[in-house]
Amino acid sequence: MSLYFSELKRSMTYLATQNESVFLGQAVAVPGTAMRETLVDVPDEKLIELPVEEDLQMGLSIGFALRGQVPISIFPRWNFLLLATNQVVNHLDKLGALTGSPNPPKVIVRTGIGSQKPMYPGPQHTGDFTEVFKLMCKSINVVRLDKAEDIFAQYKLAFLRSDGVSTLLVEWSDKYND
Amino acid sequence: MNWDKFSLIQFENQIASLFNSGKIPYPVHLSDGNEDQLLEIFTEVEEKDWIFCSWRSHYHCLLKGVPQIEVENAILSGKSISLCFPEHRIFSSAMVGGQIPIALGVALDIKRKAEEHHVWCFMGDMTSETGIAQSSIRFAENFDLPITFIVEDNGVSVMTDTRLVWGLEELTVQRQKYNKAIYYRYKSRYPHAGAGKRVQF
Repeated sequence: MSLYFSELKRSMTYLATQNESVFLGQAVAVPGTAMRETLVDVPDEKLIELPVEEDLQMGLSIGFALRGQVPISIFPRWNFLLLATNQVVNHLDKLGALTGSPNPPKVIVRTGIGSQKPMYPGPQHTGDFTEVFKLMCKSINVVRLDKAEDIFAQYKLAFLRSDGVSTLLVEWSDKYND
Repeated sequence: MNWDKFSLIQFENQIASLFNSGKIPYPVHLSDGNEDQLLEIFTEVEEKDWIFCSWRSHYHCLLKGVPQIEVENAILSGKSISLCFPEHRIFSSAMVGGQIPIALGVALDIKRKAEEHHVWCFMGDMTSETGIAQSSIRFAENFDLPITFIVEDNGVSVMTDTRLVWGLEELTVQRQKYNKAIYYRYKSRYPHAGAGKRVQF
């Protein structure tokens, strides 16, 4: 197990101890992705397995946030999250402007740059759109987790911050096994 | 305020007048012709319920209980297209279908917490044919979520005939007989945006 992976697992376990947290996505309650392995210590009642429809998932996550929850919405690869761009850019990023609230509901979005080892899965599974989303999202904090040492602090900040800023955290899947 | 058909029409007439006189330099989306249907639907809506709307939501906000002056001020400051009043549990989106999965999330959380509140999600006829609308309605039906989808059918999206471009005689929501979706037809005297002469923006 790499330090990178263990820090992600520690972060998810920490988030799971918070009353308001809930984890949503495909392969959050059942095996299927490497990210799922970071959730094995999250209680079942915090995990909501969803059908694959990314824009629906992101909208649904915003709905949970409107209710006072802090959803951790999980998209295993950047290329998949692209399909939720409408909800990310037009709604999550604009919640403050739309609601007039200085402290709008927030969502923690978790995604990854697809692994290229031991197999290269092709150009539709290995994209990194971090810089593009930084340009498109004026109010979301977009963070690429390049170093294992930053992971826990960034997830903790994403949860605890009280300024209503949502956070999009980008992981390197290849670092799970380094 | 207890709204009735006459006072709702009067409100929109006043907004139309302000728009036509240049006092609202922003898009406005006026309601008309659906007062009876909305008045009936809102007899079922409780104070703690949630309302999700599209860009045409003046009536919905008033009927949910937002004070008239607050709705007017929001419209005058350019927010007609996406009226949101969090304290009244109203969220609107200017994006086609954008409000629908958000409403679904609220309904799912209400069900998980075994609360009694209900979600009312309004959409137009063209929106009701989109993938996000159909997916969300199916999800809500399958999990018996506390949500009602209301399709408000004026037959067109901007100026495009919904049934013509989808090759339909009836909307899907009319054919499927969903338990959680209701439908009404109406005809408005107003264009998609603006108040009389169509405004293209």
